[in-house]
Amino acid sequence: MSAAELAEITGLTLRVGAVATAAILLPGVATGLLLARRSFRGKALVQAVIALPMVLPPVAVGLALLLLLGRRGPLGPLWSALGIELVFTWWAAAIAAAVVGFPLLARACEQAFAAVDPGYERLARTLGLSPLRAFLRVTLPLASRGVIYGALLAFTRALGEFGATALVAGILPGRTETLALGIYARVQLGEDRGAFWLCAISFAIALASMLIAETWLRSGGSRR
Amino acid sequence: MRTLVVALALAATLAEPAGGEELLVAAAVSLREPLEAIAHRFEERHPGTRVQLALGASSALSAQARAGAPFDVFLAADEESLDALAAEGLVREGSRLVFAGNRLVVIASAELRVPIERAADLERPEVRRIALAERAVPVGHYAREWLARKGLLEALGPRFVTTEHARATLAAVDAGNAEAGIVYATDTKAARSARVAFTPPDAEQPRIVYLAAQLTSARADALAGSFLASLSDPAARRDLEAAGFLPPPGDRAP
Repeated sequence: MSAAELAEITGLTLRVGAVATAAILLPGVATGLLLARRSFRGKALVQAVIALPMVLPPVAVGLALLLLLGRRGPLGPLWSALGIELVFTWWAAAIAAAVVGFPLLARACEQAFAAVDPGYERLARTLGLSPLRAFLRVTLPLASRGVIYGALLAFTRALGEFGATALVAGILPGRTETLALGIYARVQLGEDRGAFWLCAISFAIALASMLIAETWLRSGGSRR
Repeated sequence: MRTLVVALALAATLAEPAGGEELLVAAAVSLREPLEAIAHRFEERHPGTRVQLALGASSALSAQARAGAPFDVFLAADEESLDALAAEGLVREGSRLVFAGNRLVVIASAELRVPIERAADLERPEVRRIALAERAVPVGHYAREWLARKGLLEALGPRFVTTEHARATLAAVDAGNAEAGIVYATDTKAARSARVAFTPPDAEQPRIVYLAAQLTSARADALAGSFLASLSDPAARRDLEAAGFLPPPGDRAP
């Protein structure tokens, strides 16, 4: 396996993870805030549904996505009308990664916001800040450690996504072959050396990302 | 927070696919080595072109193509995989060609101490696990066809460990996780420790043919056509023959 191939697979994996994490950042924060601040009927059910992609077999998530994104699913006519092809593209890999990463982020955000005393935000409001500004200037900075931790967790989970991705994105070299898919394909081919290299890279990225997450928590997060 | 957003944006721009024409060839994994040589030569003759090989079981690749995988060219180890595509109008008419043949062999792991010289030897108690591909996969189908012909399919059934394709069968026997396996004769060139136990005689061999076709989803139309044509040129024939593939049945002496 060539260095160019390794770089390509690694680059694609990081791209998929980054796009997935970026896409769920806002909805994840919003969901976390909603769950932390509001109590409503059926909240436990909502929390359970949000956690589902985390606990379902990933391949079941993949099948659901295949139905939603595929040409033959109920939304198939919509995709063809829009001229969008998702299945077997890296976008499909990013969508799968986003779906399985979302619960990790939303949960982390929920906990982070729950730990912030809403009194600070109320105080900021009485000092004349709009609700959005009060949130952005007071609550979000106070919760940023947890939010960033959640984002890193979701990112790392996205990098390792396999079951759902294999179904919706296939294992197309140079197009959708991420580290996890590449490891599987190589083990199947009896190419243990290549699989080992991809494992080593996955290990390094996961370790680095978790180290950043932990030191961030330890250091008290960004002071901004 | 800002650092996070910047880092994500940076990573998102990574690995933008390079320009130039790209040909995505779905191929039976047993074709691997000669196909890599053929693809390499094709890239040299068509500068700026990149041939990507999606290797797997023909049946699995066929299912992916039917689900919308953007393959340009399809190389299958059986007719069924291609028929399934043709039934959905995915095969470009008139592009289908038979370009090689193959035969089955029985392989044994290095650890297996008893000799395996004929089909009945697979019933020996020392042969605890027999690796072969799933029924839907061409090589798995061919292997079962042969065992059924020998009247051994049912008796050996409980010993089967099913794999995803021929190379995964080889990997299982190479690793010593199965004592015996049934693969294509050509796969054994990639073996590390597994050895060929025996080759069933020609009269017992299933008819194994490799077919190629251009898919209607092909984006690089002309390029896909010339890639198909290159499968039958003398250099490709030499590569296939060197890897142990048989000439297509039509070309064989009677």
